[in-house]
Amino acid sequence: MKKQNLLLAKKSLALLLVIALSITAFIGWKLSHDPVVKAPAEIEDYLFWQARELTDFKLIGGNNKTLGLNDLKGKWSFIFFGYVHCPDVCPLTMGILGQAFKLIEKDPAAYQDIQGVFISVDPKRDTPELVNEYASYFSSKFTGVTGDVAQLDAISRQMSALYTIHPKEAQDSGDNYLVTHNSTVFLVDPQGRLYGRFPPPQLPQEIAEVFMKIRTFHNERSNKRWDFF
Amino acid sequence: MGFFLKVLFSLVLGFVAPIASADSGDIQILDPWVQAAPPNVKVLAAYLEIKNNGEKPQILVNVSSPAFDQVGIHRSVMHGNMAHMEHLKELTIPAHASVALKPGGLHFMLMDAKKPLPVGDSVPMTLTFKNGDKVAVTATVRSGQMENMGDNQHMDHSEHMNHNH
Repeated sequence: MKKQNLLLAKKSLALLLVIALSITAFIGWKLSHDPVVKAPAEIEDYLFWQARELTDFKLIGGNNKTLGLNDLKGKWSFIFFGYVHCPDVCPLTMGILGQAFKLIEKDPAAYQDIQGVFISVDPKRDTPELVNEYASYFSSKFTGVTGDVAQLDAISRQMSALYTIHPKEAQDSGDNYLVTHNSTVFLVDPQGRLYGRFPPPQLPQEIAEVFMKIRTFHNERSNKRWDFF
Repeated sequence: MGFFLKVLFSLVLGFVAPIASADSGDIQILDPWVQAAPPNVKVLAAYLEIKNNGEKPQILVNVSSPAFDQVGIHRSVMHGNMAHMEHLKELTIPAHASVALKPGGLHFMLMDAKKPLPVGDSVPMTLTFKNGDKVAVTATVRSGQMENMGDNQHMDHSEHMNHNH
């Protein structure tokens, strides 16, 4: 009786092994015949080698509305770090993004999918209300938010978006100080992952065209994954 | 009364007209404008082109505007992807040359606006040069977003080479 049981166990084990081997072989075959989806050359430079999962953060916008990682999910988010007392580079970049959004608007489905987030790294001068008003001036797609240093660092560090405030460098005391900030536009995918970036100097056409290609690529890749399993 | 007004008008015109042309001697100002911003924003930037038609370099040492508490000559500089501004004490326009102030580079930083400046408003400014010449300029507030459609806003990297402090 015991001998029979042992035989049965051996047989089952062998069967399991065969099944496991066939699955492995099938996956191997599938992978070798279905190479990793590679990003087209024209968007490769804008993408992170691997989409980076973001951890949660909390920033404050107009009407004390909070913005966290969940608010990024479900949309493509264009994120820009700046400050309101920045009369040159910030309006330039925000204007370019606003213009890019208008170009994206030609594709209503894509336009539905996007949002802009302006993060002020200068909470001393920029109230959440002011930041939001400033951001929405450039596009209705924009939300403006800020937070205290810890809150700002929680998001900026994940994007390596460094910033420095220079009260000493400023020519005048009081509120006229300068801020150094990263003027890259970061792109977060609808899964809330840091997916791509547009380094300066940017152009509206460039951002719009590259974004459309990134979105297509992203959709194709997720479809392929579904096919596979 | 009519006579008085006429005299006053011609006096004002006589005073304003030569300045309003924005040309003073060798200096010529082209396309002065201010980047529009939401009403609560107190710091704006002005852009223009300064042309020096003379034989000698001209050095801009001061800019002022009755619409702002302070005006500075600033330059945005990119170090990699990091943007920062530096304050210039003066700006030299070489003989027979012109210097363009445009988004992403040289600009006048207009600080502490005394009132909101909507698109279409005029901003008077006075440019003072080292030789004592003063040039009055009227800049128009406009949205610079159309400018960005061209590629002229591409930051001039060659200029930044001189600024590795």
